[in-house]
Parts: sequence; structure tokens; C-alpha cells
Amino acid sequence: MSKVFHEIEKKIILLLDENPKLTPKKIGTSTGLTPDQIRRGIEWLKFKKLVIVEESQQVYLRLGKNGLGANSKGLPERQLMDLLKEKPRKLNELKQELKSIFSPAMGIARKNNWIETDGENISLKNPPSDILEEKIISKIGKNKILVSEIEDKKTLEFLKKRPNFIIEEIEKSQIISLSEKGKSISETVKISEDVVVKAIDVEADVPKTFVAKTHPLKDIINEIREIFVTLGFTEILGKLAQPCFWNFDALFTPQDHPARELQDTFYLDGVNSKKIATPKQIQQVAKVHKNSWRYLWSINKARQMVLRTHTTCDTIKFLADHKPDEARVFSLGRVFRNEKVSYKHLVEFNQVEGIVVGKNTTLRDLMGIQREFFHRMGLNKIKFWPTYFPYTEPSLQSMVYNERLDKWVELFGMGIFRPEVTKPLGITKPVLAWGGGIERIAMLKYGLDDVREFYSNNLKWLRSVTKCQ
Amino acid sequence: MVKECNKMPVIALELPRLQKLVGITNRKKIVEMLPFLGLDIESQENDVVRVEYSPNRPDFSTDFGITLSLLGILGKKKGIPKLKIKKVSDYQITVDSSVSKVRPFVTGIVARYGKIDEKVLQQVIIMQEDLHFGIGRRRKKSSIGIHDLDTISFPFTYTTTSRNHKFIPLHSSEENSISEILQNTEVGQEYGHILGNSTKVPIIIDSMGKTVSFPPIINSSMTTVTTKTKNLFVEVTGTDKNGVEDMLAVVATILQSAGFELCTVKISGAKNSTPQFKKRQIILSQNLVNTMLGLSLSPRKIVSALKKSRLDATTKNKNIICTVPRYRFDIFGPMDLVEEVVLGYGIENLESTSSPSQTLGQKNHDNNILNDLSQTMVGLGYMEALNSSLTGKRILYDLTNRDSSNIIYVKNSKSQEHTILRDSILPELVNNLSNNIHELYPQKLFEIGTVFLKGNPIKEEFHLACVSAHNYANFSEIKSILQSTLKTGFNIECKTKTSSYPTFAEGSTAEIVVNGKSYGFIGKIDSSVKENFKIRVPIVGFEVKLSGLIFD
Repeated sequence: MSKVFHEIEKKIILLLDENPKLTPKKIGTSTGLTPDQIRRGIEWLKFKKLVIVEESQQVYLRLGKNGLGANSKGLPERQLMDLLKEKPRKLNELKQELKSIFSPAMGIARKNNWIETDGENISLKNPPSDILEEKIISKIGKNKILVSEIEDKKTLEFLKKRPNFIIEEIEKSQIISLSEKGKSISETVKISEDVVVKAIDVEADVPKTFVAKTHPLKDIINEIREIFVTLGFTEILGKLAQPCFWNFDALFTPQDHPARELQDTFYLDGVNSKKIATPKQIQQVAKVHKNSWRYLWSINKARQMVLRTHTTCDTIKFLADHKPDEARVFSLGRVFRNEKVSYKHLVEFNQVEGIVVGKNTTLRDLMGIQREFFHRMGLNKIKFWPTYFPYTEPSLQSMVYNERLDKWVELFGMGIFRPEVTKPLGITKPVLAWGGGIERIAMLKYGLDDVREFYSNNLKWLRSVTKCQ
Repeated sequence: MVKECNKMPVIALELPRLQKLVGITNRKKIVEMLPFLGLDIESQENDVVRVEYSPNRPDFSTDFGITLSLLGILGKKKGIPKLKIKKVSDYQITVDSSVSKVRPFVTGIVARYGKIDEKVLQQVIIMQEDLHFGIGRRRKKSSIGIHDLDTISFPFTYTTTSRNHKFIPLHSSEENSISEILQNTEVGQEYGHILGNSTKVPIIIDSMGKTVSFPPIINSSMTTVTTKTKNLFVEVTGTDKNGVEDMLAVVATILQSAGFELCTVKISGAKNSTPQFKKRQIILSQNLVNTMLGLSLSPRKIVSALKKSRLDATTKNKNIICTVPRYRFDIFGPMDLVEEVVLGYGIENLESTSSPSQTLGQKNHDNNILNDLSQTMVGLGYMEALNSSLTGKRILYDLTNRDSSNIIYVKNSKSQEHTILRDSILPELVNNLSNNIHELYPQKLFEIGTVFLKGNPIKEEFHLACVSAHNYANFSEIKSILQSTLKTGFNIECKTKTSSYPTFAEGSTAEIVVNGKSYGFIGKIDSSVKENFKIRVPIVGFEVKLSGLIFD
């Protein structure tokens, strides 16, 4: 335990050492500390188990309206008896003189046999010298006293029953005293008095400070951008809303393919694009669809605007527009899928896709690039399985082993763009593509089981995430 | 490269059946091999493995089809599983030219002496559904009918009939007219549109004049296949001759591996003909395989790999002549064969290589600027939030009092909260505050993101929005944040000009003005908006358009 005490703590300990039980108010009058300083001091000492705080309840008494009247003029029965001291009086006279207190005065005096009635005449019988209630009333007077200061509890009870004589007030207060530990420490405090005067308790708990941060998912996104760049890839940006032409047609997805249906893709209601591509690009893509899939290709369907379902539309458009002989580019951003939102599916998530164009780039090189990428993300147990994408052939997927989940998780896809995709757009070199969803990697990294957490902006989580991982 | 997850068909494989079909008792080995056919294991429970298969491989819709490929990569059977079709003249279909306007093509096959138990029946039904959905394009392009051969008498006529034509449809005991079937049955309602408004609809009639099938909607009840059925007649109808023969090839291949003997069905009339199940030859160069894969396989090795993928191949100098069976119409050209080589070679044998990049990478400039802006906001004490750009009308307009006359809707969203594209970020941030009312204040949030505006055809802009909520939040505080952000980030001086905006309180609202042009709004959130979101503390905030201000 800390042996260092704050000035406030010291004052309180020393005072309590001499006066064992005190209220905070009394501590204030003796030490000159402000109520707030005392409150804080007591909190600190209580936390260190040096003082005991007893919550106590005090009952105070003061006089009500009738009580105050009795204090200045005497009790009603006393006033009545004073009037009868000289001689018996008529009932009507007394009524007129005593007014409102006539009835209670008569009642009490008669009950105690202090007066007697003879027809209209009233006279004293056995008048008392002292009335017990008078003592209590004069004791209280205009002050507020503790109920414990009245000894004659029986009379007090009588008096309490009379209307508006006595008002009871309950006040809650604390009684502070030193604990055994506190008593034993008080000597140390006395000695240390002149040694450390301004020291504070550096070991005490303090309020939390919340740090403003970039979003955890953004951090992963930026980490991934960084890795792509160091692997030689240049970033390109694309629009989120795209004509079907680039999202589907250019990627060899037939117009009557179930993947293009409303239930998977977000079509923008009544929004069509007038200029989707060059006439040559349109003509060539239409031709390959007619020849390979044997159906009537419609330009109007290619004009429909959708929220891109992958960033592949950006990479293919880049290739079609630039036709590079050698290139590494990547596109990272939001993509959309019309799905029911659940712990594993979002309607909108992030995807990254990199492409490699080069004379001697092989599928094995692409596997190598991917291994390197995952290695830099801290994922080292990787294997590859075949899979299917409409626009690549061959197509592989990378499986990454996760220890927490104790299973292989499917992360990225990869493959070589089909000639049906590249040829119509005038791309002559082989194009290798790889990439996938980012949230899935981020979930592994942050140990989340519910992907929705990334977009819930729950401050409790955002404030608690370890920043530097 | 993200898959169309809800488009991947799933099949439940019963391991004891598969063990028997493949002839291997080692269950673990079978399960381990499945992914190397491109089958994704979704779950495994006791005897049942559920796998997703590629929609371009409809032959994987039954365990019979999967067995054919498993035998290949296990090396137990190589080359094309040959179709043995008996040429008989008992079965004939004549096509009437009237079908050419509604559903011009029909084809078919007879499968005899098979054994149909519950499991086989189940496999056949699943296959039929998957074929309808995928290559049949929801029955539009092609559809199948499978019938009990012994209930019908050949020859058949594929012709058209009126909508008053009556027969007893499958799963019914009463005669119904075509119109009634289209109106009252589930399949009728779902697929009736394929027939359009034509007064004549396609029909297959047997020699006794009995209705066999009303494609692509429903079979006749008379031909129902049960576990007592021994012999089958399969017909496929559709809009494209190649398409119907593709589908028939899959069915024929699977029924043969299920133990049936196949017989030809002669088809003639109106441009229709008997299906030939012709194989194709594709020439594959050794060079293409090796340059794509990064291997140095000899032509013989390539041939061996192709055979393990259940294709036939022979070498010819440095080329390989590959023969592709009719049911593998997923193979378009040489690149598809490269994939077949990989599968036969075994992906587990393909080692990754690492070669240094010939290019230098670079981040996108705009993205860098947006990231620097994020850092600036964090420096000012603001926490970064991320919200979906697809949102709902309630938050974006109703609860924030905003004008909703320019909404951009997406069609048929499956989620009520995601039906429109956002044209502003601020409402989302206020909603975030509303979800955090139990957390400690002050709460300060910002978001940088894309918003969508009606344009030609649509405009995408970058915005920055931020909110500050705590007991002492006031206009000066947020104005100071705005000015510091633009000054520190871009050396831009901005002014605030008295204005009004429905989300902000009257008298505490201003337009953000830079060089005389308006770029957004700043102010104190109106108490009615706070009430809508059940927030008690004062909130101030702003939203500023970045496109046009800091970049184009």
C-alpha cells in the first residue's frame, strides 16, 4: 500500500485520531476543508480501507405552528387556567377570549381534572404547578434539536399527537471514524507530516481516456493496400455503380445467367447508362456471347446500372482501356450483394483484386504471390483447391488454416482470365487475377464471429480494439 | 474474386453409397479427395457430406456423376466414360412444325432395365431440378421430363395444342385444362410466363393420343416414376438444339452410370433430329499448358493428366489432341483443358514459385488524401465510423427531416434496412450515436465515404461528415473543428453563412462556404431529430463535400 498521503487525507486522519467519530460537516469546521475536498478525501481513505464510513440517520425535532404559539403564549390549557386563577368564569366569556384554542384547552384541562364545571360556570380544581409538555416546548424553543436530547419520551409522544406542535425531521449523514488500519497508520502520518506534503496517490485508479482511432477495418484495408504496393501492384479506383456491361458482359457472364438475376444483384431502379464502352468493345463482347452461349445478346441489358458485385469490373476496364504488355494493378473497394444480412453475410463489403499481366507469369507464380501476401498478413498455413469463376480458367481458391476456429477457411480466389474475356477486348497477353473479400481476413485478425460488428459502430468495441497489432 | 455464394448448388452425399460406388472403403480418403474436384465441403455430419459444386458442372448434381470424376483422379478409371447406346427402332418422336414458334426442339432417350430405389429416385429428382435451374435457365432454355416407359406407347408426337386441352397432371387425380394448370398449380404460376401469350402450347402425345408431357411445365400423372419403375423415357425440350442435347447428354451419362441400358429415340420433323452425342476434338499445345502453369510436362504426362480428368487424349508431336465427351459442354477451348490438366496432375503437386516483381507499385493519390484526412480527424479527437452506403429511407430521410424527392432505389432488396443509396452520411452518424447512448460521453464520430446523386446516369461524390455529442456540445466547437480540418488538411479557409437545413436547429445552422461556393452544412442537430433518435445530449455536426473541393 502506498505510504504517501495527500494533504487532505492527512488532515482528516489526524483529526479523527483525536476525535474518533465525526460527521463530514464537523470535519469541515475543524479542518477548514471545503465540502468537496472532504468528500474526495473520505473516498480516497475509504478505498484504502483506512476509515470506516457509517451511514447514519438523525432525527431532529422543531416546533410547528401551534408549538411556537405555545412557546410564546403558553399551552392552551395553561392560558385557560391563567384566566381562572382570579375567579370562576362563564363559559361564553372564555370562548370569546380563547377563540380557537378554547376547545383543546377545555378538553385537556377537563381530562386531567384541573377544572370543574358547574352549569355555565367554570373554576379551577387541582391546578398543576408544572405541565410536562411545557418543559419540552421550552427546551426546543426556536431551535432544531436531536431527539436524543429529550429524555421524557412519554410526554414527547403525547405532544407529537397534538396537531402542529412538533415537527420531526430525519437527516441522513455519515459518521467517519478510523479503521484499525487507520489507527495504526496515524503515527506514520504524524511523522511524515513534514516530509511529503504535496504528494498524491499515484497508485489510485483514474478515469479512462478514450483514444480516437481510425476504424479497425480501415486499418486492415490500409495494411492490405500497403502489401499490394510492396508486391509491385499499382492501385486503381472505380465507381461503385457500374453498367452491367463491365460487371457481367465483359466478364463472359451470359445475360440469362442466374447470377445476374435480381435476387443476387442490386439493380438501380430505372437507371441506365447511355455510354458504356467503345462501339468496338461492345461489338466484340456481343459476338463472343452469341458464339459461345448461343443466345440473343441485348445491349439494353448491358446498359442497366448495378452496384458492382466485384471489383473485377475495374480491372477488366483498365485492361481493355490500356492493353498493357506488363502490369500489376489492384483495385480495392466496396462491392454489393443482394443477400439477407446475417453474422456471415453483408449486403456491402470490401474486396481487393490484383491482376498480373506479363509474358512469363505462371499460375505457380500467382500462387507464390498469394503465399507471400498471406505470410505478410500473418497467415502461414495455406493450401490451394480448385474452384469455379465464370471469367477465369483454371480457377483456384486459397484455403487458410485458422487455429481459433480449428478449420480451413476459404479466403481468396485466383485464376487466369478466360480468352473469351480477354480476346474480345483486345488483350493479347495472359492475365492472372487474384483477390477476395477483406472482412473475412479482418474477422480472423480481430477474432470476430459476426461480420456485422464492422459496420455497427459500437463504441464499446471501437474503443476497446487494440490499435497496434 | 468473390463467388456468387447463393448461386452455388449444394448436394448431400451419403458416404456409404459413395464408398460402394467408388469401390473404396477408406471413407476419409474419399472426403479428402472431394475438394480436388472443385467441390467445397460445406458440412459433414456422420454419414452425410454436403458439398457445393460449380454450376458449370451439372454432372456433379448426383453422386453417380461425382463418382465418375472421383474414379478418374483416384486413377481407378481413366478416359471418357463411354456412352453405350443401343440402336433400336422402337422409339420414335415426330415433331410437328407448329412447335417452332413456342418451343422448337425436342430430344430424348430411353433407359432400360435399371433399379430405382428411394435413393436413386431422390438423386434423379435433384439432378432434374439443378439442370432446370442452371443450364436450363429456369426451364426457359431447356427442361426435362422423366417418365415410366411402360405406361406409354410409342411413337410420340411433339406438337402444340390449345389451352383448353385436358389431361391429369402429375400429383393430381383429376383432369385439368392447360389454362387451369397454369393458373392453379405452383409450377404453372412459376413457369407459365415462358409460354408467353401464345394460344398454342407445346405438348407430347403418345400413339394412343394420351398426353405424356406439357413442357416446360408438368408431366402427365400417367407416367409417374416410382420405385417400381424399371424402364425410363427421358425427353428434353427447349429453345436451342444444342442446349437440349447438352442437357440430354448429362442425363444419359448419369443414367448409364446408375446402371441403365440406353436406347436411341428417333426424332424427326421440323428441323429436329436424333441426338448423336458427338464428341469434340480440341487441340492443346504442350507449350500453352507449361507456360500457363509454370511446369515442364511432357506431352505424355499431359495426356495422362487429361485422362484422369475423364477426357481422352493422344499426342501428336508437341500437341495433344483431346477428345471431350458431349456432357462436358463446360469446356470451351484449350484454356479449359489447361484446368483439366491441373486437376488431373493434382493441385497438391503444384508448388508455388516466387519471382520478383517487374513493376513498381503505387497507391492511388485520391485514396492517400482521404487517408490523410482520416488522420487529421483522429488528431482532432474524432473516432472513425464506417456505415453502409446502401441504407434505408427511415434513417436517411424520415428521422432526420430531410427532403426525399431524389431517392435512388435498388430493386428487390432482401433487407429492409438496405433499399436506397445514401446521398448524405450525417444521418448514419446520428443513428450511430443513437445506438451508443449507453456509452460514455463525449462521443465524437466522423466518416469519409461515397454518396450517390442522380446524374448522368449517376454521380458519386466523396463526403466528410462528423458529429460531436456531449453535454457542452455547441456551434463554436464544431465550427472550430471544421475550420481546423480544412485549414490543416488542405490550407483551405472556409466561412459559415447563416442558413437553414432540416436536420439542424433553426438559428444554429450555416452553409459551409469556400470562395463563395457552398460545400455543405454545419449546425446543431434539431431537438426533434434528437427525439426521433432518442438522444438526450446536445449534438453538433457538419457534412462537407470533398469532390470539387479537394479533388475532382
